Amino acid sequence: MTTKPDPAEHVPGEADEDALRPHSYDGIHEYDKRMPRWWLLTLYGSMAFSAVYWGYYHAYTIGPMPEQALATEMEENAARAARNSGIINDDVLWKMSLESAVIAAGKVTFDTTCAACHKPDLTGLIGPNLVDTQWIHGGKPMDSIKTIEEGVLAKGMPAWGAMLGKQKINEVTAYIFSHHKTGEEVVVVPGWTPPGAAPAAAPAP
Amino acid sequence: MTSLPSRPSLESVTTINDDGSRRFIHPATARGRFSHWRTIFAVALTAIYVALPWIKINGNPALFLDVANRQFHYFGLTFLGQDIWIGFFVLSGLGFCLFYVTALLGRVWCGWACPQTVFLDIARRIDGWCEGDATARRRLDRAPWTVGKTVRRFAKHGLYGLFSFLLTHVLLSYFVSLPRLYAMMTHAPGENWGAFVFVFLLTAALWFDLAWFREQFCIVLCPYGRLQSALIDSDSLVVGYDTKRGEPRGRKGTEGAGDCVDCLRCVQVCPTGIDIRQGLQMECIGCTACIDACDTVMTKIKRPTGLIRYDSRRGFEGKPTRWLRPRTLLYTGLALLGAIALTAATSTLKPVAVNLTRVTGIPYVVEGGVVRNQFLVRLQNKRNATVTFRLEIIDGPASLHWTGSEGGVTVTPLGEEMRTIVLTLPRADLKAELPLRFRVISSDGTIVDKPGTFLGPIMP
Repeated sequence: MTTKPDPAEHVPGEADEDALRPHSYDGIHEYDKRMPRWWLLTLYGSMAFSAVYWGYYHAYTIGPMPEQALATEMEENAARAARNSGIINDDVLWKMSLESAVIAAGKVTFDTTCAACHKPDLTGLIGPNLVDTQWIHGGKPMDSIKTIEEGVLAKGMPAWGAMLGKQKINEVTAYIFSHHKTGEEVVVVPGWTPPGAAPAAAPAP
Repeated sequence: MTSLPSRPSLESVTTINDDGSRRFIHPATARGRFSHWRTIFAVALTAIYVALPWIKINGNPALFLDVANRQFHYFGLTFLGQDIWIGFFVLSGLGFCLFYVTALLGRVWCGWACPQTVFLDIARRIDGWCEGDATARRRLDRAPWTVGKTVRRFAKHGLYGLFSFLLTHVLLSYFVSLPRLYAMMTHAPGENWGAFVFVFLLTAALWFDLAWFREQFCIVLCPYGRLQSALIDSDSLVVGYDTKRGEPRGRKGTEGAGDCVDCLRCVQVCPTGIDIRQGLQMECIGCTACIDACDTVMTKIKRPTGLIRYDSRRGFEGKPTRWLRPRTLLYTGLALLGAIALTAATSTLKPVAVNLTRVTGIPYVVEGGVVRNQFLVRLQNKRNATVTFRLEIIDGPASLHWTGSEGGVTVTPLGEEMRTIVLTLPRADLKAELPLRFRVISSDGTIVDKPGTFLGPIMP
């Protein structure tokens, strides 16, 4: 603790104790004291821990490494999600289109995500009308699921699959088909002409 | 063999024996004006610590670090995950304040406000209730294990444990809030393993700290004390001994003796086991116990108090303390600069967070002579009240139309909403890439502008 002990004046308490270390930095000497016992125990304890840790994770791979643990957990989650979502087909979606809770959830997603192009009443604006019997990419619920998930990039319909997730897409499809009846006549048409297409007269490209 | 030094020495640590084993010290209780005020201060600090989760401001606890939801409530303000950069100013500011205070007042943090000191003082009270004063405790340490000793030891460690348990629960409530804490307490441990293990481990660590580790934390572990020699200068306030007045030591009435009667009272009350008369030492936590002890003795022998006192090292040499000196002036300037930066940083925080991104896929669509761009707007309401937002697009030509935000967007308290915004512009009007500003206006008047660009085939 002292900065300048004078070895000549220093009287050691016992024979080998309070010896000065040989080095000297800027005239600062250091006593050779024992480390506190608790400090040494902490050091030996961490050494023992590292041996156990090394054995557990690296040498004998008893436990999974963090990346593996994460991957396992992600797989489990994906499997659980797949189990919970069940099998989606036209019949299931038609059934969902009669459940008020599903329709309500689908309406929220539609109003926030789809209404900008398809209008809040689904009658179409930039994107096609969804309540008439004319369809461009097929009139079955599974056709719509495909369109929503993958988009129609050339026409500006984004691929919503990654952004919304399966559950929301199922719900929003059920909401759309809650405006339709099972077994109604459908016509497949080549495209959609927005009502009053251009706000201003557009020159031909 | 552990030889107990009769007096603290500058060449060794009192609480560590020569063979490295621990020497457990029982400091005597000092009474006086400083211990009086320190007690009041400690009670106030503990009360604030316990009360903060109970006080509700704007419907949330005064301090609630909701890590699970990335919402940080601070006296009615709510910070979200994306505001975390403010933490840089807060943490560096707190660190700087500690430096500033140390330059002026020495280690007042250690002596008055550090939780280790405050809680250890409470633990020493527990010692007193269960095992009596310092002399009685030393005797009890040496005494054989009798029923009486066992009962006293059980009572003492039980109270340490209970105290640690309560402190840990209060700490947990800062992160999960009281209702959630209560719910966790009334459910089986298995339902909240994380919290349960946290409470168990922290309680054990605190109990160990209070029961055994104690001043070793300050003299071996804590980095702050080690910075003392860099943080203070000869004009900083420290707890010190007036060598000029006190030396040479001697009994009352001795010819030529100073005021110090060498009664060793200052050593007996020291919680880190040093002799303050050997000068400023790293182990000194500035707890002022020696001031009170010495003042009591000086009053008894009718000498002026203040032989040990708060003063600067220049003050102890009989010179005036320079409060205004380059270091304090520089620190004041830096503190002001930091305060300005923090104020400027927090004033840019809005009660709404707006994100504007282009919808993935192709950047624009041309159809029927009309160019279309699609954006996603995400609105996060940081207020604890429902807010309605209106969207405007400024800087655009008159023929620019957009849909998607009709009727405004209503967002629940601390909620989040996303909208698809579709912009259309006649192709003929797109002469160049069109920079736009998306303006979000909330019902309470907050305005946030986000830049966006309208893309399309440019007509020459």
